[in-house]
Amino acid sequence: MNIYLTDGSETCFYTAAFRACTDRTCQVTCENNVQLSLGAQIITVLPDEEKSARVRKKLQECDPRSLQDISLILRRGCPQKEMIALAYLRLIVRSGAPVRDRLSLSAVRDAADAIKKVLNEAHRLTGFLRFMESASGIFYAPFSPDNDILDLILPHFLRRFADQSFVIHDIARKKAALYNRNECIITPTDESVNVILSDREEGFQMLWKEYYRSVNIAQRPHKKQMKGYMPVRYWKFLPEKQPPE
Amino acid sequence: MIDADKLKILTESAKYDVSCSSSGSSRQNRKGGIGNASIGGICHSFTPDGRCISLLKILQSNRCAYHCLYCPNRADADVPRAAATPAEICELVLAFYRRNYIEGLFLSSAIERSPDHTMETMLETVKKLRTEYRFNGYIHLKGIPHADPLLIAQAAQYVDRMSFNVEFPTEKSLKLLAPQKDKESILLPMRHLAQKRRAFAEEHGKHTARFLPAGQTTQMIVGASPESDGLILRLSEAMYHRFSLKRVYYSSYVPIVRHSLLPEKCTGLLREHRLYQADWLMRFYGFTAEELASPGENLPEEYDPKCAWALKNMQLFPVEINTAPLEMLLRVPGIGTLSAQKILRARRYCLLGFEDLAKMRIVLKRAKHFITCNGKFYGTENLSAVKTMLSLEAREERYEQLSLFSTQENYQSALTGQL
Repeated sequence: MNIYLTDGSETCFYTAAFRACTDRTCQVTCENNVQLSLGAQIITVLPDEEKSARVRKKLQECDPRSLQDISLILRRGCPQKEMIALAYLRLIVRSGAPVRDRLSLSAVRDAADAIKKVLNEAHRLTGFLRFMESASGIFYAPFSPDNDILDLILPHFLRRFADQSFVIHDIARKKAALYNRNECIITPTDESVNVILSDREEGFQMLWKEYYRSVNIAQRPHKKQMKGYMPVRYWKFLPEKQPPE
Repeated sequence: MIDADKLKILTESAKYDVSCSSSGSSRQNRKGGIGNASIGGICHSFTPDGRCISLLKILQSNRCAYHCLYCPNRADADVPRAAATPAEICELVLAFYRRNYIEGLFLSSAIERSPDHTMETMLETVKKLRTEYRFNGYIHLKGIPHADPLLIAQAAQYVDRMSFNVEFPTEKSLKLLAPQKDKESILLPMRHLAQKRRAFAEEHGKHTARFLPAGQTTQMIVGASPESDGLILRLSEAMYHRFSLKRVYYSSYVPIVRHSLLPEKCTGLLREHRLYQADWLMRFYGFTAEELASPGENLPEEYDPKCAWALKNMQLFPVEINTAPLEMLLRVPGIGTLSAQKILRARRYCLLGFEDLAKMRIVLKRAKHFITCNGKFYGTENLSAVKTMLSLEAREERYEQLSLFSTQENYQSALTGQL
């Protein structure tokens, strides 16, 4: 069995898909989570623009929306993401047409689930992201999502906070979006940065916590539902869920 | 900056208002402005009672001149009082909004001095927020009954959603429990706003309607007065129809105030839940109030309202999953709007069997008694056996107290609204 190792980029995935075209039993995965099985042979794939473009062109012909779908699947934070994308890609190419409505096929369901997970998390984080005001007036928001969604949520915040400079920092993937009221760039970063907070920041965080306490109806406790909607893994960056000091 | 005590008083007074949704408006940000509205709404946090925080829910003032018996802020109650200035509220909204704590403002108020005075202050707040602070986020404004129609119409221009609370399903209960309010003072402004919204849409085309983009809602207290669910649902249906309301909220009565005219006990959450289920059936599943409950009757507690309807109309079932029209699929217990859409999409490509439905994660526990897949029936023929199987009690632990969310099914339905 061959294992195709990609660097995690879309181009590299399409290159691997091209090379593994007739290799029915192959595995495709990205470097950081490879697991060797007996008799497996590792083939390291380097991104190849030309091969990748050929696969993309074919997909575009079969189903124009599929490129977007696969891009979303590859953002998943699970090791099987390339395999899910590959099975979906193969099915599209074999059918020569969109397959997304054929929900009785497992490849389609897996792809749909992966897409839904990514989009759901992106939507959730448009709500759960928290900014803090730094002394220089720039608003800083750290987060560590399960999936690679920084550039999915970015347009939302660019529209909303057009008049405010901000930084959204994906700590897990060590990259950040910087916006200075004019233009926005995404750049690699360190894992943690030191932010000096403005004088007012603590006061507003305190008011927010007070609000959070007051708006709760204590006679109707229902923690299970709270955790269902707002999973504990997101609490790390929410001021209202920090234990009182 | 507003101080923490004031915020606490004004929030605790506002928290019993159920509405928190921030959906329905797609207001855009403008150049030099801050904020926009998100058409689907965004939840920013969840409190330990399981409710979402989407908007900063706050009263302008809790100094009230009215004597509504059930209200913790009524004039003769001994509670801490406070009022916020328009500037204080605006500043707080902006500070919270910039930190992405909230989606916008939900502003309500007690009747301070007079309805007109109260409405004026609230108008000043929303106007300031939109013009001075250039805020384009979501605003939900509570209407004050008896306020000058001109003030109400003016305020409506600045906000995304407006709501007047009906409070009770009949005028009799309203007169008894909220002596200073009357039916006309609540329904008349609702009618005016609905007319204005319709006229605006006609004039400017449906898609550019900017007058109250997120429409109107209302709220009713359930269980403080003797009205039946059948009556409540008929009223909701009429309001959806006549005022094009976006939503009716039901709030099960919690005795915060003791009074001889008010019941001693909480109304069960299950009743509220059943009302919401029926409400959903009317809005998204094509049911009428008539089909769900007769005027003097409450919704059954054992079954969800759709299941109860299906059990009464067994002559219509089973339906064939591969050929049934959407309207009929939606009437199958256990198949929600999303599942019905999934079935419609998938069955274009192949005949769906029972296994396929299971793999598509369609909940079949209830549905299997009401459908055939490819001509085959997988449920139980005997009606009384089906009834026993589907009743709430059959699925509860014998000695466990009947609590709303103890069954997975009710819990799921409360989360998603799918029936």
